[in-house]
Amino acid sequence: MHEVLVEWLPNLMKRLPEFWKAAGDTVLMEVWAGAICFVLGMIFGIILTVTKPGGIMENRPVYQTLDKIINLFRSIPFIILLTALMPLSRFIMGTAIYVRGVIVPLVFGATPFFSRQVESALAQTDKGLIEAALSMGSSPFEIIFRVYLRESVAPLTRATTITAISLLGLTAMAGAVGAGGLGDFAIRYGHDRNMIDITWVTVIVLVLAVSIVQWLGDKIARKNTH
Amino acid sequence: MIELEHVSKRFTLDDKTVTAVDDVSLKIFDGEIFGIIGFSGAGKSTLVRCINLLERPDVGNVKINNIEFTSLKPKDLYNARKKIGMIFQQFNLMPSRTVFQNVAYPLKGMSKDAISKKVRELLNLVEIGDKENAYPSELSGGQKQRVAIARALANEPDILLCDEATSALDPQTTYSILKLLKELNKKLSLTIVVITHEMEVVKTICTRAAVMDAGRIVETGDVFNIFSRPQHQMTKNFVRSTSHLSKLDDLMRENSPMVELKPGEMLVKLTYGQLDVSEPLISIAARQFNIDLNIVLADVEIVAGALIGGTVLILSGEAAKIHEAVNYFKSKGVRVDVIKSEIEDAIYKEEEVYAETEVRL
Ligand SMILES: Nc1ncnc2c1ncn2[C@@H]1O[C@H](COP(=O)(O)OP(=O)(O)OP(=O)(O)O)[C@@H](O)[C@H]1O
Ligand SMILES: [Mg+2]
Repeated sequence: MHEVLVEWLPNLMKRLPEFWKAAGDTVLMEVWAGAICFVLGMIFGIILTVTKPGGIMENRPVYQTLDKIINLFRSIPFIILLTALMPLSRFIMGTAIYVRGVIVPLVFGATPFFSRQVESALAQTDKGLIEAALSMGSSPFEIIFRVYLRESVAPLTRATTITAISLLGLTAMAGAVGAGGLGDFAIRYGHDRNMIDITWVTVIVLVLAVSIVQWLGDKIARKNTH
Repeated sequence: MIELEHVSKRFTLDDKTVTAVDDVSLKIFDGEIFGIIGFSGAGKSTLVRCINLLERPDVGNVKINNIEFTSLKPKDLYNARKKIGMIFQQFNLMPSRTVFQNVAYPLKGMSKDAISKKVRELLNLVEIGDKENAYPSELSGGQKQRVAIARALANEPDILLCDEATSALDPQTTYSILKLLKELNKKLSLTIVVITHEMEVVKTICTRAAVMDAGRIVETGDVFNIFSRPQHQMTKNFVRSTSHLSKLDDLMRENSPMVELKPGEMLVKLTYGQLDVSEPLISIAARQFNIDLNIVLADVEIVAGALIGGTVLILSGEAAKIHEAVNYFKSKGVRVDVIKSEIEDAIYKEEEVYAETEVRL
């Protein structure tokens, strides 16, 4: 087995520890940035949903401001966000490189996208359910948790899946500015030194990761659809 | 008691203003089944939503059991709403929850056992106890509405608001839901407000009703009076649209052979209302005056426990006898409209009376 692998993947097998480290870094970036982005995106998505005109806590200034900020960040290409946010990253995380240094731009890159995804997931909630809940004396907060979130598990799962996958893409890009991870690994060896086997293995690992996330997301979504 | 005082509600959409509810004052008494009827867009939904303040009126007061709803603080309003159940045309059950969980939704601050007991009691009350583990998507429309009723009654409200609650159901299911509502009204002395565009619904369960048109209430009264003596044109249209007798106009317009008269015949419409028609008037007249009475159309039914409706007849026989028969009907409190006459000595000039067919049934 080992011999076969060495024969087919000579460059990778020589750098196996480095490969595992890179994969671990990617997982770290994905999990940390993903977790922060999940919490923030949920909060922003909910705020957008309830404050929009006709929402249960309608509030024009709050909605307009948040809406504009999200649009602003969504229109900035991630590669530019990466460099533009370096000072902020140094301020918050103490560094602008390695996994630590790239969490801030990853969060800024993915949160606006996820907030919109959450907003549109929650918007699928039947207005009639909100009406019914109001008529039963539910407070706005109760409606957020017991109606909006509870009834939107499936679309929220789908939103999370999509965001997790696109975040994986961003972590690969972040590799370019010294964050490490699989993207960096593939560029440094696969591209710069023309080690095709490394490129291919990285691609396969990423495709597998995406498939697993997608499969898990679909499974949860299906389980919550009645 | 529900008291609306000069309630108005406007909506502005793209600088067009719609007055959905226009200066409505209304009293709905405890234990009543009160109907609000009107064509689509009349403002019925908006009005009923003003009762539990899902829609806040621009002007006017809403008082329920002597509590000024319009001046309640949010938290008190949420609690007050628990005592006003509401059901909807689209049922609005939460799809991710089972029947049991839907009914349990409004129950809070109770032990698990108490909630289970209450939910089962409610499900039995609406006769759907065997479905507690089903999801709404697995139920028929009628079953969904039963679950919605159970949920609306969870906090033991005094009032139940029904916004087109049967409009998505077939006639048979509609009837079974209306029957259930009537039973609940008796059993729980529940005040029920029924919004509908179907006259049938009002006829079947309401004791009093209001007719709504363009945001205003144009007529309020006992259902029987509304049906037998509609005052406002809108009400007349409503009553007409539900009666088979409205076909008479079509027949007349088409010159149908059904209403064609031979010499010596007369086409009349008898309208009953508020009287005891236990006597077989038509057969008595036939025997007593020795004339033929041929029924063209008939629509008689029981509304609020009394007979209402009418019959369109062709009378043929001796002119004097026909005249006597007409007087006999009148003496029994029946309204007689002569639609058309081919009687020689023309006691009845058809021009004179024909205009009256436009009037009520
Ligand atoms: N939220 C809203 N925004 C703008 N206009 C509204 C709103 N709600 C109702 N309207 C308008 O108010 C009027 C009355 O609407 P409402 O829904 O109360 O009528 P309805 O009698 O219940 O009709 P239907 O039988 O079709 O349900 C309509 O012209 C409608 O377009
Ligand atoms: Mg309506």
